[in-house]
Amino acid sequence: MGSSSSSLNNVPDGQQLMQETGFSAAHLLRLYERFKFLDKDNRGHLRSEDFEAVPELSENPIGDRIVGAFFLPGQETVDFSSFVRVLAHFRPTEKNRTRAGAQPEPANSRNRKLKFAFRLYDRDRDGKISRTELLQVLREMLGMQVTEEQLQSIADRAIQEADLDKDDAISFDEFRKSLEKVNIDHKMSIRFLE
Amino acid sequence: MFWRRAAHGRVGFRRSLPELGLLLLATLVLLEGSVLPLGAASSPETGITPGAGVSHGHADKNHSETKHKKPFPVLGLNYDSVKTPFEISLWVLLASLMKLGFHLLPRVSSIVPESCLLIVVGLLVGGGIKLIREEVPPVLDTKLFFYCLLPPIILDAGYFLPIRPFMENLGTILMFAVVGTLWNAFFVGGFLFAVCQIPHASLSHIGLLPCLLFGSIISAVDPVAVLAVFEEIHINELLHILVFGESLLNDAVTVVLYHLFEEFSEAGTVTVLDGFLGVISFLVVALGGVLVGAFYGFVAALTSRFTYHIRVIEPLFVFVYSYMAYLSAEVFHLSGIMALIACGAVMRPYVEANISHKSHTTIKYFLKMWSSVSETLIFIFLGVATVEGPHQWNWVFVTATVILCLVSRVIGVVGLTFVINKFRMVNLTTKDQFIIAYGGLRGAIAFSLGFLLDIEHFKDMREIFLTAIITVVFFTVFVQGMTIKPLVELLAVKKKQEAKRSINEEIHTQFLDHLLTGIEDICGHYGHHHWKDKLNRFNKKYVKGFLIAGERSKEPQLIAFYHKLEMKQAIQLVESGGGSKLPSAMPSTVSMQNIQPKNQPPPPKPTERALPQLTKGREEEIRKILRSNLQRTRQRLHSYNRHTLVADPDEEGFQDIILKKQKMMELDRKIKEMANYLSVPSHPKDSPTMSRARLASDPQAYNIKLPAGGVPTIQVDLASPQSPDSVNLLDEIGKAEQKEDSGLMMKPPESNGPEKAGEKDGWRDQQKLTRCLSDPGPGAEEDEDEPFLP
Repeated sequence: MGSSSSSLNNVPDGQQLMQETGFSAAHLLRLYERFKFLDKDNRGHLRSEDFEAVPELSENPIGDRIVGAFFLPGQETVDFSSFVRVLAHFRPTEKNRTRAGAQPEPANSRNRKLKFAFRLYDRDRDGKISRTELLQVLREMLGMQVTEEQLQSIADRAIQEADLDKDDAISFDEFRKSLEKVNIDHKMSIRFLE
Repeated sequence: MFWRRAAHGRVGFRRSLPELGLLLLATLVLLEGSVLPLGAASSPETGITPGAGVSHGHADKNHSETKHKKPFPVLGLNYDSVKTPFEISLWVLLASLMKLGFHLLPRVSSIVPESCLLIVVGLLVGGGIKLIREEVPPVLDTKLFFYCLLPPIILDAGYFLPIRPFMENLGTILMFAVVGTLWNAFFVGGFLFAVCQIPHASLSHIGLLPCLLFGSIISAVDPVAVLAVFEEIHINELLHILVFGESLLNDAVTVVLYHLFEEFSEAGTVTVLDGFLGVISFLVVALGGVLVGAFYGFVAALTSRFTYHIRVIEPLFVFVYSYMAYLSAEVFHLSGIMALIACGAVMRPYVEANISHKSHTTIKYFLKMWSSVSETLIFIFLGVATVEGPHQWNWVFVTATVILCLVSRVIGVVGLTFVINKFRMVNLTTKDQFIIAYGGLRGAIAFSLGFLLDIEHFKDMREIFLTAIITVVFFTVFVQGMTIKPLVELLAVKKKQEAKRSINEEIHTQFLDHLLTGIEDICGHYGHHHWKDKLNRFNKKYVKGFLIAGERSKEPQLIAFYHKLEMKQAIQLVESGGGSKLPSAMPSTVSMQNIQPKNQPPPPKPTERALPQLTKGREEEIRKILRSNLQRTRQRLHSYNRHTLVADPDEEGFQDIILKKQKMMELDRKIKEMANYLSVPSHPKDSPTMSRARLASDPQAYNIKLPAGGVPTIQVDLASPQSPDSVNLLDEIGKAEQKEDSGLMMKPPESNGPEKAGEKDGWRDQQKLTRCLSDPGPGAEEDEDEPFLP
């Protein structure tokens, strides 16, 4: 731990990232090491093949969505800042924080977490989860064990429940409303990222 | 007052029912008391009469005790031979009638928890018996308690243990169970020893080790008492599982400490080595118990895989294997309670997938029944045993014990929570801590352990100990039991949510689970979710295939609940007159034509179309089913109340559906004879859920009529005049028609649009089941080769 400050200099934009995301120096260092581990060819950025090299991810039903979330639209590579910024969403929410109005909403606030999850559903980024998008997610999660009819019905009912403005799609507000009783902080936080 | 009430007519009559109940109970109590002396009195008599008769038969032989010939006894009295079973039955009957009685007195049972009332009844009965006979039967015999009364309660708790919250809070529970109990034992034991040294208390003969032994007996939170009291206050699931889990797991600690101190009390000294061995012994006891239980659980699951032909003894396997687990653990001085819990929890998912619906219901009912009766009996016996004694009241000791127990519990909980909160995501608040501390009830296990104490070694101490134990038990059950409910309400502890858990929540929480696992994998951190996922995957791949028969192993929970939902809908529509006429044997009346016209008009918005026949009220019902069926998979706990079974919503209609299905299968066979190129396997080994799946949702029947872009939901089909069961028939007919059209080819549906790819994949499963063996057709084969998951 004694060398952490000197090692932090090796981390690109270390200080700025610390401020922005709220990670501690130790955590940032750990994440940088992980980044370098994933970056097998030592390019300084990650491509989707590097992510796919994580074996468990291929077994994850929504693995490719998760990987896609790291890449900004149009980009083919992920640099360390983007990597960290995405992971910042998964820090546990700090309680009793008073922030000045000028500060941007921290990445691990409940709202930002939900927005992140929403974007995973809404791949075409039109601000709504359409029926097709929901069906795709359901198909990925439920796999071969469901008939198409059942998937349709589940999607139907889900939209029917959540869709308040009757546009046959779930907007972010509707999404947030449908999850108001769920403890998002619990579900979307990794403890070691504290 | 009785007559005045009766004057009010009907209302008066209803009100007099409780009084009638009381009268009934009183009569029974008297009966109980009088039968036992009668039994004692009649036995000597009955000994003589048959003896006389027999000897008379041998009168012509050598010796004849009596010369006169007695008339043949038409009516004899032989109580002796049925004494034991008779008395047992009487006790059980008393317990059951007590339970009935309490529900007739709602006012009383809302103030006083049932356990208190039962103890009072026990006191009364014990007092009554003592008056009549001057001697009370030793009912709380240790063997009886540990081998007959305790296992059903623990098995019931273990079988229905909500695994997920238990596992999520396992760390906390273990801390409380192990560290908390150790702290309690040493604190109470140590301070009591100090108290015993007070010169005027006449307790100086109690050494340190007996005090520690006493501390270990009294420090264990009792699962029976906790269950009895907590389930009436409907506390939120987290607290419930914490206290209850603690009460279950501290058995290992109690066993080890008890044996340890008992051994050493005889030896007199304790060395460091002994302490070390004690720690090792604890690990052995705890883990050994769990392993034994898990072993028996797997064997039971494996056995249930083959019980297809003899369904009636399926419940027996569950019970016997669990009991064997308990006994086997006891043989090796391992923790029987943990073995029982492990056995029940391990075998449940597999056994439930294998056994029939009726067996499942039987197991549920039997477990609840036995555990209810057991619990009632335990409390009654506690009352009786109190009357019996042996007692030696020592003011100093008893008051010191009570106070020390309370103090140590509070300190222990507060201290542990402080440490635990550093590791928890969701902290325990002060209110939570208070409830946990206050809910640390002692019960019959402590008393039985005290009873077990060797009379020789603990000559003067045993009575004092027993009296103190009884006092603590009474105090906790009565005082804490009665006041916890108002205190809970006073503190406004978060009660269990009667919340609606929508299907959105289901989908999204599962999504978030996957997301979190994925992120953890990327971070390279093996967090909570990773191990859970790994375990699940291992479970699915290997274990389930091994322990569950047939195709049932592939069904995810989400689909199982969805089947139930569809089933419920089917029942509702059928009941609402949607059509209960079964189609006649001729296929021509049952055709696609009846269904297709429904789809000709362009489907309006799904919100109107999707649930055509269901009113708002029905929609609420469906949601309720959704919620209750998902509790097994999801984080949100259903705070189970042991005395009310989780309602099976479609149980009532199930019988009808089964009957109709049987009729349908007969029709199936007739049609098959007609069209014998149909070699559809008749799904003999379907689990109820799978057959329901076939029943209510068949892609073939739907895909045929799939209009482009439309969403033919299941409800649409159910709205048709046919009963939902006829879908099965339609399935056959559909195939028949298809075959007529296109030879032996099973064409994928003509539907188009982006959904085609998904449908084809959805087809694969069904095609495996329904495909004609002779020629599946090229279309189907293509799909076979494509892997579905990338």
